[in-house]
Amino acid sequence: MMFPQLKIAALVSVGRNPASGAPRAARNDVLALDAALALAPEVSVLHAGDAAPALHDYLAYGAASVEVLPLPAGADALAPLAARVAGYDLILCGQRAEAGQGSGTLPYRLAKALNMPVVSAALEITLLGDIVEIVQFLPKGQRRVVRVSLPAVIALHPLAPRAPRYVYARLRAGRLLSAPALVAAPLPVSPWQSEPAVKKPQKLKPPETRQGHARLLGAIATESKGGALVREGSAAEKARAILDYLRTNRLIEF
Amino acid sequence: MNQERKRLDPRRPFVLSPAGLRRIILGATGGFDASLLAAPAYKPAPKPLRLKGDPAGYLLVAAHSQRGMLDAHAHQAIAAAALLASPQQAVVVLVFGSLNEDLRAYGADLVAVLPGADELGFAPEQELAWLCEFVTRYAPAHVFMPDNEIGDGDLGRRLAIHLGAEVATHVVELKPGAVAMYWQGGAALARGLMPLVVLIAPDVAETSLPFSGAGETVAPPAAQAPPGRYQNRGLREIAASALALEEADFIVAAGNGVADIPTLEAVAAAFGAAVGASRVAVDEGKFTRDKQIGATGKTVSASTYLAVGISGAVQHLQGIKACRHVIAINSDASAPITKRADLSVVGDAQEVMSALLAELAQRNLPDTARESV
Ligand SMILES: Cc1cc2nc3c(=O)[nH]c(=O)nc-3n(C[C@H](O)[C@H](O)[C@H](O)COP(=O)(O)OP(=O)(O)OC[C@H]3O[C@@H](n4cnc5c(N)ncnc54)[C@H](O)[C@@H]3O)c2cc1C
Repeated sequence: MMFPQLKIAALVSVGRNPASGAPRAARNDVLALDAALALAPEVSVLHAGDAAPALHDYLAYGAASVEVLPLPAGADALAPLAARVAGYDLILCGQRAEAGQGSGTLPYRLAKALNMPVVSAALEITLLGDIVEIVQFLPKGQRRVVRVSLPAVIALHPLAPRAPRYVYARLRAGRLLSAPALVAAPLPVSPWQSEPAVKKPQKLKPPETRQGHARLLGAIATESKGGALVREGSAAEKARAILDYLRTNRLIEF
Repeated sequence: MNQERKRLDPRRPFVLSPAGLRRIILGATGGFDASLLAAPAYKPAPKPLRLKGDPAGYLLVAAHSQRGMLDAHAHQAIAAAALLASPQQAVVVLVFGSLNEDLRAYGADLVAVLPGADELGFAPEQELAWLCEFVTRYAPAHVFMPDNEIGDGDLGRRLAIHLGAEVATHVVELKPGAVAMYWQGGAALARGLMPLVVLIAPDVAETSLPFSGAGETVAPPAAQAPPGRYQNRGLREIAASALALEEADFIVAAGNGVADIPTLEAVAAAFGAAVGASRVAVDEGKFTRDKQIGATGKTVSASTYLAVGISGAVQHLQGIKACRHVIAINSDASAPITKRADLSVVGDAQEVMSALLAELAQRNLPDTARESV
């Protein structure tokens, strides 16, 4: 169902091909754009940063235009985005960026700045009047249904079952618009130093203080258990042993 | 020349390993000591307490439990906090959901449990209020949480944003006072000082520790959040058969010892489980290739793995490393799978499976009232 009266924004970023490092449309943001277009015919597609050529891909995926909010390199995108989307009903974005820090905190910070609820790991989004119902991803084949009232920020899970289509003609027809930033972004003061990731990260381990014989004993005293063994009894008793095990560990509910 | 050869003393001092094997004591000499044989099998000495005296500061770990247990990722978060804590700093663990396991081995000093708030619920405002109460109560130097998809990654971000605190997410390396995480999709590694909220990626810390935590139980937080903006409408479960094996929570797997596939599939259906297979069973054409579990097949992480007629070759066991409860049905009591399994039933696969089906038919059937997709 389409909701033309709603103001919906999709936030998009420049992604990064994991193999070649080439800039591209971020997969997760494409899903957010596609989900937004399924809800309303007109969606404001916003990007804070440079008017990178990779943004044209979003035109091919269905954005009529991409609005670029200028941002000094490395500056925080929160302030300009929050100022731009104030008053919107629904703000969709990908859960985690492919390039940059990719910390997955932007939706939460945006929601805080706009005083909206935020739901992440969204797979499906349905509008029910001024309530939005979200099917959330949980591991192991579980899905959770959550409702919040509009306005809200929703971050899409990378496994959202959507099939965005790339249409070259739309890429030719659409345009990147550069909008003036409403708020100046604060200059970057990053507490992080980044370096090329060449070495494998080190695992945190207790210091080894034991020597020789003690270490050998430690090595053979592995905490492996080798569980219970049921040899005797009829097949029915063995089957019951299995069910008892499952029940005591609350692995089945009957 | 023969007289020159050094002879090994067959009665060198030895200890018995937990598995009942003789282990000689390297370097020790002397004759046979009968008292050693009579001595009970080698038992590791109880580990010393890490915390010395009354705590002067705290590190907080918060995580959601699943079916009364924390997962390996959460254990790593606790162990990481214990490894980073100074001898005067206590590790406080706040568990959302019930808890039926001992966290001392991972270094937990104080444990608070919130039963009824497990990973299946969704009340971010209430959970945030509880977590904030603990942050106020203990004023921890750092809050560690596993950056996972069962609610801890979400709650950790909410906490950091709520407190306006600096946060490090997907942390892949921990050092005293410092963290590192990947940027640019893994092309860059960013390092910095350890912030208040640290959301750790899996496998950043060793969980077998040379010390133990005090493991005291403390009162859980009691804060009551006002009625929230989020409404949890419950769970939807996808039929296990429609699920990729990697995502399944209960797997019934068949090996070469299973002749009757329909019975096995009936057992799987009765448990609401997905079906997997060993390589031999796949090679014989009993299953399609996408069902194969193991080194050259799929790596699964089900909570329950029922291995029927599978010998447990290393290549197969590699695929089920992450499975929490392994149950084996095998006619051979000494098959390697019995070493890995938590429960091994020795018997004919066909008979035990039929008995299982009969038992299950007697009891109430699985809850079909649940909404299914
Ligand atoms: C490079 C390489 C990669 C491999 N990758 C994989 C892989 O990814 N996955 C994989 O599974 N294997 C893999 N294998 C094969 C692996 O080494 C084993 O051969 C295979 O796992 C054995 O399968 P199985 O346990 O079903 O069969 P078997 O080893 O034949 O074991 C059958 C078991 O069933 C029991 N049994 C027999 N009859 C009955 C009965 N009536 N009731 C109850 N129990 C019974 C027997 O006691 C035995 O323990 C790989 C091998 C190689 C060399």
